Amino acid sequence: MSAPLLQVQDLEAGYGAIVALHGISLTVNAGEIVTIIGANGAGKSTTLNAVCGVVRARRGTVTFDGRDLTRVPAHEVVRLGLAQSPEGRKIFPRLTVLENLEMGAFTRRDAAGVKADIAKYYAMFPILEKRKHQPGGLLSGGEQQMLAIARALMSRPKLLLLDEPSLGLAPQIVVQIFDIIRELNKQGMSVLLVEQNARMALKVAHRGYVLETGRITFTDKADVLLNDDRIRAAYLGEEGH
Amino acid sequence: MTAVGRYWVPGLFAALFAYPFLPVAEANRGEQFTILFVYALLALALNVVIGYAGLLHLGIAAFFGIGAYTVGILTVPFFPFQQSFLVAALAAVLVSALVGIAATAPTLRLRGDYFALVTLGFGLITLYAIRNLDAITEGTKGLNPIAAGPLPGVKENVDLSALKVGDDWGARWYKYPYLYFVILSALGGVMLLLRNLERSRLGRAWVALREDELAATCMGLNPARLKLAAVAVGAGLAGLAGAFYALALRTTGNPQAYDFTLSMIMVCCVILGGLGNRPGVLLGTLLLMGFDRIATNLLDNWLQEEFDLGGGAYTKVSGWKLIIFGTVLIVMMRFRPEGLLPEARHARELRESDDQAVDSGQKEK
Repeated sequence: MSAPLLQVQDLEAGYGAIVALHGISLTVNAGEIVTIIGANGAGKSTTLNAVCGVVRARRGTVTFDGRDLTRVPAHEVVRLGLAQSPEGRKIFPRLTVLENLEMGAFTRRDAAGVKADIAKYYAMFPILEKRKHQPGGLLSGGEQQMLAIARALMSRPKLLLLDEPSLGLAPQIVVQIFDIIRELNKQGMSVLLVEQNARMALKVAHRGYVLETGRITFTDKADVLLNDDRIRAAYLGEEGH
Repeated sequence: MTAVGRYWVPGLFAALFAYPFLPVAEANRGEQFTILFVYALLALALNVVIGYAGLLHLGIAAFFGIGAYTVGILTVPFFPFQQSFLVAALAAVLVSALVGIAATAPTLRLRGDYFALVTLGFGLITLYAIRNLDAITEGTKGLNPIAAGPLPGVKENVDLSALKVGDDWGARWYKYPYLYFVILSALGGVMLLLRNLERSRLGRAWVALREDELAATCMGLNPARLKLAAVAVGAGLAGLAGAFYALALRTTGNPQAYDFTLSMIMVCCVILGGLGNRPGVLLGTLLLMGFDRIATNLLDNWLQEEFDLGGGAYTKVSGWKLIIFGTVLIVMMRFRPEGLLPEARHARELRESDDQAVDSGQKEK
């Protein structure tokens, strides 16, 4: 197999005196869905933010598509093919749905291609087309999540980083969002998915990493983790058998 | 949008262009209007920084002053440069923009509070520099006379008060209505320019940045550079306003004209009119500065004539001016925080209830 699309090695990051990540390593291969699961405060979002440069790595390397990202400013990362849909569906609430999508293509200069992509994502998320002239903030939580994902895809990334896409959504909407992730992956998109909803994440992912207080404690194929007693007890809310 | 909402700005400009031709027009009133247009330019400049990019700028008067003194230095006989006003105005825009970049660039990676403090401090430093650099600025006397203007055939030293409309247009050509039209046209031009800027890629990027800096960064927007662009455009336009101010007065005047009070009043004009809303800022400035420069004097004279109250400051509207400003601002903040003519996006921002703001991913302020 060729070199992984994303390779994180011995990554340490934090905020001020607090070290949030104590040297973690992980890989995402092209075409894979990889998930990072863990409790609140384990360092999941920090991992994503350190990968895309919003939080600076203090030690270790992040190699994406053959390039070292640790010195690349956050706003340049998207040009290299890495798009993040941030935690809490950080859509632009007072821009319309259409303007949000156009913002996602900010780094692109091919107007015709952007237009075609907007049409493509309207077809994938019909509700967005219906609401294209409404401000993003008036959409429901699930619609906002769809918008956030579509907006991230507008930059035509090689790897999509999703931070807690299920956060605050009703269960049937969560199922819908994970169906979308699976569908995107079938079309060839590689995904790094950070989730507290471990069961849903492991069901959709190929491989998983378990993050505990800034360290990776388990990693394996997703279905193995899903059946591991310790994982079941700690993250899936079941008694060990 | 109603017809009134759509057409009042062109209507206002048409009315202002027609004013000098009306029988009720007075030369002195026209000159007062000219100064109002200059302040409207300054408020529009400030609105780029505060309204578009969401940065609290507390020292816009410094760039107004830098523009005025650049024109002064390049045109008055005191210096050897003797450029035409057009060259000097262009230089004023460039110098102000560059100084704006140099003064604020180091703060743009920090939190917003630092930007407000640095602009406040820069405004104070600039004022003291202007006042005390006698060898360059002539201190409190100011630099004068400012260039004879870009067009030929201008007569100087005309007693304006003796003239009425219809008399000797050639003689009046220099100040009123000539400058009136020049500055009103510049104001109209800047309004159009800013409208295009709002609709441009840059304008859209400023909105995204104001809404959510993290998400904007993830979309590939460079926050520091976008803020710097707003600061440079704002400072450059403020420099242009300063250039016209010096031209309209024919002198850079007393340095007091560029002090912190002016910066604050400009912030008030922007907030009164509607943060980020171009026509609103124009209206807010015309109302607030019109009250300040024109209406208070009229009211004072009227009160004296009708009631003969004696000369004490408390008997004049001008004595109560700042209290009236303050009260208006407090009333606005309580009942209409989005300003007289709210910019649609800002209005939503201010009227949203807290839980909606959280729900839509609003970042803490």
